[in-house]
Order: sequence, then C-alpha cells, then structure tokens
Amino acid sequence: MQEEARTKELEAKAQKTFSAERREDYAVLLIAALVVILVLLGVIDNKVISSIYLIKY
Amino acid sequence: MGVGVDLTDVRQWPKMLPGFIVCLLLAWLVLQYDKYVVGDLHRGYGEASKVLKPIKEGKEPLPYEDYKKQKEESYKKAMEKYQAGLEKKKPSKPFILKKEDYEFILQNKAIPGKFTFGERMNQFQLTYVAVLLLGGMLIRNTVGVPSVLQPGTVAARPFIKPGIIILGAYYMWSDVLKVGLIGFVLVVIFVLGTQIVISLWGKKAKADDGLMGLMGAGVGVCGVSAAVAVAPVVNAKPRDFFYAIGTILLFGTIALFTFPYIGKLLNLHQAVYGAWVGTAILNTAQLVAAATWYGHEALLTANVVNIVRIGFIPIVVLWCIYYYVVRPARQVGDVTQRLNTWQVIKEKFPIFILGFFIMVTLNELKFFSPEVRDLLGRDIVKIFMAIGFAGVGLNIAFDDLKKAGGSAFAIGFIAATVKAILALLFVMAIGPGPFTIKQ
Repeated sequence: MQEEARTKELEAKAQKTFSAERREDYAVLLIAALVVILVLLGVIDNKVISSIYLIKY
Repeated sequence: MGVGVDLTDVRQWPKMLPGFIVCLLLAWLVLQYDKYVVGDLHRGYGEASKVLKPIKEGKEPLPYEDYKKQKEESYKKAMEKYQAGLEKKKPSKPFILKKEDYEFILQNKAIPGKFTFGERMNQFQLTYVAVLLLGGMLIRNTVGVPSVLQPGTVAARPFIKPGIIILGAYYMWSDVLKVGLIGFVLVVIFVLGTQIVISLWGKKAKADDGLMGLMGAGVGVCGVSAAVAVAPVVNAKPRDFFYAIGTILLFGTIALFTFPYIGKLLNLHQAVYGAWVGTAILNTAQLVAAATWYGHEALLTANVVNIVRIGFIPIVVLWCIYYYVVRPARQVGDVTQRLNTWQVIKEKFPIFILGFFIMVTLNELKFFSPEVRDLLGRDIVKIFMAIGFAGVGLNIAFDDLKKAGGSAFAIGFIAATVKAILALLFVMAIGPGPFTIKQ
C-alpha cells in the first residue's frame, strides 16, 4: 500500500517535472530569441562582448 | 536537464537568485582566465616561438618597432586581398608581442614563463569548460554548496539550451541534413539498440520492469530527461528511479572527464570525436561540455547528433508503452490498451530544438553577416555555455553518484560502456568526412 502511494507520488512528480521542462523550453526559446534580436539590432556587438573581458594582453 | 527547479515559476526566482548570481560570477571569472591564459598567452607562446627561432639560428633580430611594423603591414596586405575578393577567409588580427616581452626574448633567448604557462594549460585542455566543471565539482564535494545557493545553481544548468539554439547560426541546412542523416543512423543503431537490448536483457535476467525501462531509456537515449519521461509509463518505484538516475549520472561524469583525453590520446579528428560523444554520452549538459572541452568543431558535430538523439525521446516512450504496457496486456487478452502516438509525441517532444532549426533557416537565408554569425555562434554561445557549466559543475555531488546500485547498475553500466566502445569504433571507421560541418 505504502509502496503504491509512493509510486503514485513519483508519477505525479515526474509529470510535474516534465511540464516544468516544457515551460523551461519555452523560456530558453524566449531568451535565445531576445539575444538574437539584440544582436541584429546592434545592441549587443563585438564592443559589448569585449568589454566583458577585463584582463587583456 | 531542468530537473529540480521550475525556471518559469516567478515565485521561485528569489530562491534561485543567490545561487544564480554565484554561477554568473564564477562563469565570468573563469572566462577571464580562458580569454587571457588559454587564449592570449597561448597565442603569445606561438608568436614568441616564431620570434625566438631565427635568434637561435644566429640571425640578427629585428628591432621592436620594425617587428611591429612588419606584422601590421602584412595584416593590412592580407585585408586588402580579402576585400578585393582574392581571399575567401577574413584574416584574423595578428598577435603582436608587447615591447617588454619582445625584449625579454631577445635578451634571454627564452620564452617568457607566462606564455609557457598558457601553452601548458592549453596542452592539458584546461579551458573554461574543464575549470568550471572540475572546479565546481571540487567546491561541491569539499567545502560544499550552502543550501541557500543550491536552487540557483540548478537553475543555471538549462542556460546551455539557449547556447544550443544560438549555435544554429553556424549551420547550413545541407550540413545539418548530412550530419543529421548519419547521426540518425548512429542513434538508431546505438541509442535505440541499447534501449532494446536492456529491455530484453532485463526480461531474461528477471529484473524489475520499472527499473529496466528507466535504465534503458536513461542509458540509451537522454539520461535524466528520458528517465523522467518513462518513469510513469513503466510504473517505476522511487528506489528504481534513484538507482537509474545514479547510474546515468555516474557514467556521464566518468565519460565527461575521460572522453576528451581519450580523444586526444587516439588523436581523433574533432568531427569524429563530436559524433562519438553525441552518441555515447547520455545527457545533454555532459555531452555539450565534453564536446566543447575538445573544441568548437567537435561541438558543432556533437550538437547535431544530440538534437537527433533527444528528438528520439517520444519514440523511446512509445517503445516503453508498447513493451511494458500494450504488449503484456494483449498477451492476457486485454485489447483496451492502445498507443496514442500523436499524444505522446506532442507531450514529450523537446520543443527547444525547434529554435535551433529556426536559427539554421535564418542562416541559410543569409540573415546573419559573417561578423554576426561569429558573434552569435562563438562569443555568445560561449557565455551561455559557461553559465550552464558553472551550474553543472556545482551539481556533481558524489552522494548522488553513490545512489547508483542494485543489479540493474551492472546491466546499465555495462551497456553504456559497450555502446561507447562500439560507437567509437564505428565513427572511427567512417572517418571525419560525413561528420564535418563547414565553417
């Protein structure tokens, strides 16, 4: 009985995790799209990227 | 990949913020190291060797100003050739030694220690990937990660996914189809093959259906994600779930830290190595890390094979439904159990890979200039990967790996190892041609 309840609990957890992964996929698609748009608009360019690196030769 | 926290749940963000900031900081610090030591100092070693060679041969060295002028002029000429269309590839900016380093070489007839250090770090492949993974693992298993930081470190891991999508800017459809087709063959032979072998072996060994279904999906296809997808189908017990996850993580961790060195030892071409890790490593984060560790070309190939592989998750779930639910039911005369193929595909398909295909299409339509392509496909991908790898490293806990156990551990581990060896022999026999992505 206890084992069955735990299995059901795991089933619910797996379902929840998978729907969270699906939402995560939408979120990463949105992040990627935003970054690409910013690059195409020239907001993120080589100067912005090289400003991230403080130690240079 | 995202098991543990829900990135989209705004209520969880305050909980994730501290750990996520730590991952950002860690990624930033290690990228500084990577750019300076593995990038600049390594290039400095090459340049210093070139300067030193004629001096050792007894030739008179150029004064510093002449050396600098010579480098600048040869770059200018190469640029003019490129602009006139005589050269296809844009010349990269020359590495010019600083005056003090140039004079050190002239005076001491030796390469400055910092350049040798950069060269050694490069030789041992201690790039940002290795430092973030090894460093993160070391921190996690020695001083530990405070519980307040843990949700954020888990939330950092999926940042590898935007990297995978944006990397699409580097591909043409012809390359994706070429490598994807052979990747498809690899996935069918090795990945689905492992799943089927484990299912049949488990039945023969009278191992628990739930455990073997999980192990087959996890070891065969896509590590934790596939195990999560299959768990409800095969009625897995919680203990089975942890055994399977433990085995998948243990194999993946060992593969992640050994495959890049095995590749170097065997002198594998980057594309061949990429195809190998794409087939043999079970989890996207670990696979992408092992490929990036080896080189950009390896990552380009591994990414396509990985996309084909994770696209197979719905097929694996369908197999499990058929093998563990529909087939046994039919054997006892129950015809009510049916496969709802479309429903499974709709629910289990990892939709983020559609973003990758959109990027490939945009590149095919010449939406990106060569500069934008490089910015997206190299610099920005690197930043996303670094954030993700910081999360991956800080989440490699030996305690989780110890959860691998039971009789299924042996079956899962042996199957994964045999798959890795056979896949290696297969891709080596094919050679780099079909796996190479044009850059």
